[in-house]
Amino acid sequence: MLTLGAIVVDGVTYAAWLFLIGVGLTLVFGVLRILNIAHGAFYSFGAYAAAFGVGLGARMELSLLAQFMLAIGAALAIGVVLGFVVERCVLTRLYARKEALALLATYAVFLILEDFTKILWGPQSVYANGPRDALGQVPIGPLMYPLYDVLLVAAAALTGLAIWYVLYRTKTGFKVQAVVFDREVSSAMGIHVTRVMTATFVVGACLGTLAGALTAPKIAISPGIGVEVIVLAFAVVVIGGLGSISGAIVGACIVGIGRAAATHLLPQVELFVVYLAMAAVLTVRPLGLFARPEARKI
Amino acid sequence: MKKTPFVDATLIALAALAVLLSLGGGFMPGWVRYLTQVSLATTLAAVGVMILLRAGLLTFGQGLYYFIGAYSVPLLQKHLGVSDILLATVVGTMAAVAVAAVAGLFTSRYRGIFFSMLTLAISMVVYGIAVKSPLFGGSDGLNVRGASLVGESFSGEKLQWVTYFCSVWIAALYMAIAHLLLRSRLGKTAEALEQNEVRLDYLGVSPKWTVYAISLFSASLGAAGGTLAALSARHVDPSFAYWTTAGEFVFIVLLGGQRSVLGPLVGAVLLEVMRIVSSSYFPDQWQMLLGAMMLLIILFLPAGAASIGGFAFAFVRRVLGGGKWRLTAKGGARDRAA
Repeated sequence: MLTLGAIVVDGVTYAAWLFLIGVGLTLVFGVLRILNIAHGAFYSFGAYAAAFGVGLGARMELSLLAQFMLAIGAALAIGVVLGFVVERCVLTRLYARKEALALLATYAVFLILEDFTKILWGPQSVYANGPRDALGQVPIGPLMYPLYDVLLVAAAALTGLAIWYVLYRTKTGFKVQAVVFDREVSSAMGIHVTRVMTATFVVGACLGTLAGALTAPKIAISPGIGVEVIVLAFAVVVIGGLGSISGAIVGACIVGIGRAAATHLLPQVELFVVYLAMAAVLTVRPLGLFARPEARKI
Repeated sequence: MKKTPFVDATLIALAALAVLLSLGGGFMPGWVRYLTQVSLATTLAAVGVMILLRAGLLTFGQGLYYFIGAYSVPLLQKHLGVSDILLATVVGTMAAVAVAAVAGLFTSRYRGIFFSMLTLAISMVVYGIAVKSPLFGGSDGLNVRGASLVGESFSGEKLQWVTYFCSVWIAALYMAIAHLLLRSRLGKTAEALEQNEVRLDYLGVSPKWTVYAISLFSASLGAAGGTLAALSARHVDPSFAYWTTAGEFVFIVLLGGQRSVLGPLVGAVLLEVMRIVSSSYFPDQWQMLLGAMMLLIILFLPAGAASIGGFAFAFVRRVLGGGKWRLTAKGGARDRAA
């Protein structure tokens, strides 16, 4: 019973994190049809920006909440800048070309940004653990959990809800959906497709930096944290189907619970349980659970 | 259609190059010889990437097979006491083909970014295992002790010479085989796959098994490159399976072009030169340099050429007046037929 409880709580917190790192990737793919490897770099930039924000707040002797807000603000600001620059300078030239080439371009951007973080913040680890430590622990059943990790679930839910609201309840969201469905027809209907694409990419980049900023208090921020994230995020969103938001939620839950179960019951497979889950799902549904079927064109 | 003679220009060039490198080895300073060996190792792996890329498949998992080939050398030495260079190459290649035969069942169903990301994921899983596993020496890797060739073991300077000659001739042989494959029916089918897969299917060729076959071949090239790298550097570590290693192979193809097996050779040499220059001027920004170069090639070379090699080829053709300014290379940009 104890293990079951632990599996559920661990699984849900891990799923929340997975959703946060995956949702930006899947949103961008849905609209731009580009798998953005640089998402991992956005994540690490967000984490570093959060460390910067927390550090700045601490030096200005702000309250912990204000420090945290500063961290999030810094991460979002850097997300807007990075997203805009990358989309306008790089991706916009590649829409007409092969998707593999665009993938390679985002990989190149990843490499560049990764070294940028080293130049800006040095090779050693930085920390932003103030807010998380201050929140302390909370009992869930017989187990103690860091309150921050539990709040992260709420943050992930809130993020998901916000995306859902914008996509399905606002006019902007309808435009985005139209672009996802068919670029050419939406452009014929008077939607400014390029603008929608730029905006989506900026939002996607912000989701990446936000995920980094929210994770920052939990980890030692060092060069290379983005690599694992991009591979994991891909595994998660591909389970649900690339481009599908609800798919990202389902994928995150499957992987989160799966990994928590493996950690507690069968620690040997923990390392690759994510990929096992991915392989299992893809064997049954080659394009993921919620992927839109595509017609064969000759 | 004119029938190409069996011994064509590329094969002659390869043979000439191998002879030249063998004879010229004595005149090279040690570091140039070492550089040649390393370039040849990465060339083989990159030719594997190129074969898949010609079929429109971008692999980010070539590092895995490089890793398998490389580790087969010290593992054979340590556990079976086998140090024969040729045997290690054969065993490494076989092991890689076996792994690719399993992985390929899964990946050959996929195209585009799915193929790229799945190959990437597989090689990163292996990297994750290798870093933690004592069998592979953890993140420190393993050392390669002396090597032997048909029963005679070597050490010291003699060993360096033996590995040099073996590298040159094994690489030349594998590149020749790769060239013959590209020229063969399978090679042409793979190219057609990139053009229009559905039509190929209707013509009675199975795209899946074509991809499967060339994946196996590509893996064997990666492993052969890995064994050469292990023999040259005398040390292997898990970073061989890391995605940046695979990224460098893709970069080599981007630099050298995918028109012929000689393209990756040019690319590999350029990459090693870049690495030397970069390590003396900005040692910590290697990735950035690599990324920036990659981005510049992708963004600013004309669509379709997508490589310095392809660009140079087209340019030379124009200068020689052999045709109009035409970029026919793979991946003609606005091909939206599929």
